[in-house]
Amino acid sequence: MTAFAVATHGLSMRYGKQAALSAVDLRIPEGAVYVLIGANGAGKSTMMKVLLNLERPDAGRAEVFGLDTRSQGPQVRAQVGYMPESHEHAYAWITCERLIRHVARNYPAWDHEYAAQLIRIFGVRPDRKVGTLSKGENRRLQFILALAHRPPLLLLDEPTDGLDPVVRNRTLAHLAEHLADTPTTVVIATHHIHEVESLADRVGVLSAGRLVAQMSRDELRRTVLRYRVEVPEGWEAPPELRIASLRRSPGGREAQWTLAGEERDVTARLAAAGATVRDVTPLALEEAALAFLAGEEK
Amino acid sequence: MLVNLDPNDGRPLYLQIMDEVRRALAVGTLRAEDPLPSVRELAAELVVNPRTVSQAYQELERAGVIYVRRGQGTFVSPTVRRSAGERRSLALAVAKRALLEARRNGVGVEELVTMIQKLAAREDE
Repeated sequence: MTAFAVATHGLSMRYGKQAALSAVDLRIPEGAVYVLIGANGAGKSTMMKVLLNLERPDAGRAEVFGLDTRSQGPQVRAQVGYMPESHEHAYAWITCERLIRHVARNYPAWDHEYAAQLIRIFGVRPDRKVGTLSKGENRRLQFILALAHRPPLLLLDEPTDGLDPVVRNRTLAHLAEHLADTPTTVVIATHHIHEVESLADRVGVLSAGRLVAQMSRDELRRTVLRYRVEVPEGWEAPPELRIASLRRSPGGREAQWTLAGEERDVTARLAAAGATVRDVTPLALEEAALAFLAGEEK
Repeated sequence: MLVNLDPNDGRPLYLQIMDEVRRALAVGTLRAEDPLPSVRELAAELVVNPRTVSQAYQELERAGVIYVRRGQGTFVSPTVRRSAGERRSLALAVAKRALLEARRNGVGVEELVTMIQKLAAREDE
């Protein structure tokens, strides 16, 4: 049996009339790097806040390492390194060093030596006032605050936002090293999918508060493929393929879909419908996720 | 040994890492008793989950290609040679890719083979 770092059960939440989360059953195995994908407002940030008990769900429940997020909030938060989406700090007037010391007091597991090392790695100047930091410098400071107590769960909300490409690569490489040194489950919420693609080994797709897909990266790679087919003139897709097709770009005698399913089954279905499969190509994570989102909009 | 991953390759990352090690062995850039980068180093270099690298190394160890010396790291097995079987499977993979690409472009097998031979002959001159 797989142990889950995070499991939610029928989690639902509304902001007024707007559904922020609808019956979400998240399953994040321990040790995974889970990338939560979705448009702005799809519910990614709300999801993370619910896990930290910063937002109260209207229905359902959430567990972090088997702890109930509502009744055991403080215990849960002690296990989590959180990087919020916002770049704003509540203490704009204090120095980075003081903020780090302040946050350290909340975590008995705080590793001061590692924090000092992180400050050097990320090039944060301890004497700078928090309020004067650029977006990228702020992100780096938030990385230090999230990592320095070596939490078993990292919740990173748009972690690459504001980082230039060089710093981004160095930061993600350091995250990989951190994972090698410290057993950690990572949840990354992002719409900059290609930036974290190589790290992802599980994927969840949120669309308007609903979790429309959740699987391992390898399963996604194997089962969401682009099929290019040759069809006779005037060919109409049979209804069962219209349902299965997530995206279609017709071009005369050529048609192209992104279809979900085992390749052998899909090819057989297409052949039975009178289409000759010419080409099957795997998709980058972003394209595969987009296919799910496009399928939802229909 | 340099490991490159292709994001557009449909195979799982751990298989791609395994293939890169095998390729380095086949072309001789990696030899018996050579050290491999640590899981930590390779994960940081490729920006992948260290567990992906571990999985590749475990499979290679099971296949007898590499071994772990406790406290010292991971090394290429002393018995690994550039075997004929390894060369054949490498050639097969290259042929498969060429054939696939040819089909995509509506090029026939004979046409493809003739063209490759012509090209090679021209390069030899």
